[in-house]
Amino acid sequence: MMSVALPRQRFALLIGIVGLALLCLFFLFPLSRIFDASFLDPKGTHLTLANYGKILGSGFYQQAIANSFEIGAFATLLTVLLAVPLAFALARLSIAGKSALLALVVLPLVLPSFVSAYALLLMLGRAGLATQALRDLGIPFGSIYGTPGIVAVYTLTLYPYVLLPTLAGLKAIDVSVEEASRNLGASRWRGFWTVTLPIVVPSVLSGALLVFIETLENFGVPIVLAEDKPILSVEAFKLFVGETDQNPSSAGVLGVLLIVSTALVLLIQRHYLARRRFATGARRSPPLIPIGRASLVAASVACWAVVLSSLLPFFAVVVLSFMKFRGPVLQGGFSLDNFADLLGRSARPLENTLMLSGLAAVIAALIGVPIGYAITRFRSTLTNILEIVATMPFAVAGTVLGIGLIISFNSGALVLTGGWLIMVIAYVVRKLPFSVRSSASILHQIDPSLEEASINLGVAPVMTFARLTVPLMLGGIIGGMVLTWVTVSSELSATVVLYSGEWQTLTVVMFQALEGTGAGTAVAAASLLVVITLVPLAFVYRLLRRYEASLL
Amino acid sequence: MANITLDGVNRSFGSVRAVHDISLTIADGEFFTLLGPSGCGKTTLLRMVAGFAELETGEIRFGERRIDTLPAHRRNTGMVFQNYAIFPNLKVSDNVAYGLRARKIGAPEIAERVARALRLVKLAEHNDRWPHQLSGGQLQRVAIARALVIEPEVLLLDEPLSNLDAKLRVEMRGEIRQLQQTLGITAIYVTHDQEEALAISDRIAVMRAGRFEQIGAPEEIYRRPSTPFVAEFMGTTNLLQGNVGSNGASIKVGGTEFAVPRLEAPEGTAISFSLRPEALRPLIDNEAAPDGWAVVSAKLARLEFLGALTRIEANLSHGAPLRVAWLDLPLHRLKAGDPLRFAYDPARVTVFA
Repeated sequence: MMSVALPRQRFALLIGIVGLALLCLFFLFPLSRIFDASFLDPKGTHLTLANYGKILGSGFYQQAIANSFEIGAFATLLTVLLAVPLAFALARLSIAGKSALLALVVLPLVLPSFVSAYALLLMLGRAGLATQALRDLGIPFGSIYGTPGIVAVYTLTLYPYVLLPTLAGLKAIDVSVEEASRNLGASRWRGFWTVTLPIVVPSVLSGALLVFIETLENFGVPIVLAEDKPILSVEAFKLFVGETDQNPSSAGVLGVLLIVSTALVLLIQRHYLARRRFATGARRSPPLIPIGRASLVAASVACWAVVLSSLLPFFAVVVLSFMKFRGPVLQGGFSLDNFADLLGRSARPLENTLMLSGLAAVIAALIGVPIGYAITRFRSTLTNILEIVATMPFAVAGTVLGIGLIISFNSGALVLTGGWLIMVIAYVVRKLPFSVRSSASILHQIDPSLEEASINLGVAPVMTFARLTVPLMLGGIIGGMVLTWVTVSSELSATVVLYSGEWQTLTVVMFQALEGTGAGTAVAAASLLVVITLVPLAFVYRLLRRYEASLL
Repeated sequence: MANITLDGVNRSFGSVRAVHDISLTIADGEFFTLLGPSGCGKTTLLRMVAGFAELETGEIRFGERRIDTLPAHRRNTGMVFQNYAIFPNLKVSDNVAYGLRARKIGAPEIAERVARALRLVKLAEHNDRWPHQLSGGQLQRVAIARALVIEPEVLLLDEPLSNLDAKLRVEMRGEIRQLQQTLGITAIYVTHDQEEALAISDRIAVMRAGRFEQIGAPEEIYRRPSTPFVAEFMGTTNLLQGNVGSNGASIKVGGTEFAVPRLEAPEGTAISFSLRPEALRPLIDNEAAPDGWAVVSAKLARLEFLGALTRIEANLSHGAPLRVAWLDLPLHRLKAGDPLRFAYDPARVTVFA
């Protein structure tokens, strides 16, 4: 028998129902339409498995699948090899300029990775600035197109996904655990292999799997660097744009393949990690390891080298944007021509980017914060389902979500295609997992008894949420909104599917300029993206430090 | 102000009965303590009164008014939380004014009542401070002022002293008791600390596994525990097992006979009883026991000097331990194995049926 006296639970119920309804309409329904599309013939009338036969039987698409997984595996391995020693150095050695490094190391996660790819292309591509110079010096140098370039960019932009949880894991090991190991007779080296490393392995793996998922979903980096090499996420887009039939069956199949692969990876992660939680509840972190001066200098140099080389491409793009280009070729000499070209034609893309991402940030917070509240404060079957569904968009590539939204809302009761709203919807859905998780992590730091005290003093639950909980969360909410705003500004994969006519964004301009010959315009757009990402981040830096963990 | 009635209240979490068919009436102005080990249901019961835990069956009334069907924010209870729950984003005076503002009281009256409440808890000068500038004890006072200022029908205190250090705890419990008596407010107090419960309460309910084990005044609970659980929970005791002796007023434990109040049970019945360590008075040399008292002999096993008090563990003839609290031990050079004699009033023995 249920009593009726707890309106707080009705509040949570309301959030749960509204949240699930929105997610069903704008996320699960579009996904189900992709599944539909993959099982219907091109006319969209008969159920068939022929689409799968056609795609999976084709050598080209088999190659695309193989390439995606191969690149993902290489990139994941390399990020781990790069990030784990870096994390260890940052946790246990007195690296020079450590706090600056810790601030810089997060940036690759929010800067647009395809800008990094584009910088690599400008520097080391066929007509690259450094290419000829390196060849002239006799330094053997292969092609950066295809696997090597893509893997390099992924490694340099995604390593923080492994670094941050590993660092947190290393800091969470209580000193007594390592001291016990030494007390029992293990050398420091043996203690590292038998105690320290095994404890952080789950953190490393959870980061590594995020990297793998990111590589499968990423669209911008392969579109810049893949050239003729087929990649799943890119081919799904090309098929969708190219398909003229009633039903986008082939794009549907690739979409389903992408969803199934990322979902599988996530399931493996959940399954493996659920049984491995080695939190030792650190009361005191282990002390820094004293090493020789020479070794320390070497370690510091290595750490700075990794972090700077991950940021160098973005810096290069900003510098290059002030140089003269003729077609794709750099002429040298500083000028503002590129920006004049970009903004002279129309300032709309810049305005669109700022407006759409601003809107997406606000809406993602308005939906994400209440959901985060409901799932942290009120555990029930409903909120458990809500939590799972709200974090699922993470496993769906932007391209796939875009295609799903188009086939769901280009006809029927609700027509949204062709306008700005569908883009904002896609952004909100894609960023919702982050918004929900960051507000949940803020709420974990706010004692529930504060809300109970407010209710006990006579303020109704809904008003308590609005007047007490939200103000207490405000710093975190603003930080989260800025991060959403920044990452949406550089969103390409869903945008490129959904934009139309006047609703071009900076990323679209850059994308089109890549296809064409306007390197100057592309580099100016890329540079603007870097700037509008960095400026707000610098403003809210203090706020963000606390919420780094929820980026993951 | 009103008396509080709980009537057949039940609550389960999964297969665990957290609150098991509890019925109780707390008198107007009474200081009532729910005491028990963790997980006994005392906090759940308090939260039911506050409206933060649901009842499966049963009723709660303030006077004649049923309140368990009201949402928590309309119950007009003042709650003091274990971790104080002071709003970190509000200054001290705004924390205290919070409940008055929710009641749409005019600003001049709020200012006056907040000032009075802060004076009451001796924090008048701290009204403009931020919570992070206060000590634990001061935060506790703010929490109490905030709960009292709304003039609640009942004051609910959930282990309010457990985060304070030992000295402050003793000081604060005295102040809480004094405030409650001055205001004449009904209070329900939850704690797991039996000394705190004894010091502060008009009546205590000892809880165990969701039920009341015993309800009574502090002295009654301590002196006449109704079950072995209560006897042990309320402080160190000698809980002994034996058989009823031939004269109907003694119990044989091993080879030692204890004099007890007259028993109904027939000779030989297995029976247990409690005898507090401080009820045993050491007899020095050939000192005689007071009239009507009995004497028990034991051999010293170990001795723990605690300052004012010395705790002694002695062995009865068959080896069972007997604990004795010796106030102000004279400078005797006692050593393990020394024979000792202790006198006790048989009336101080509590026999469990």
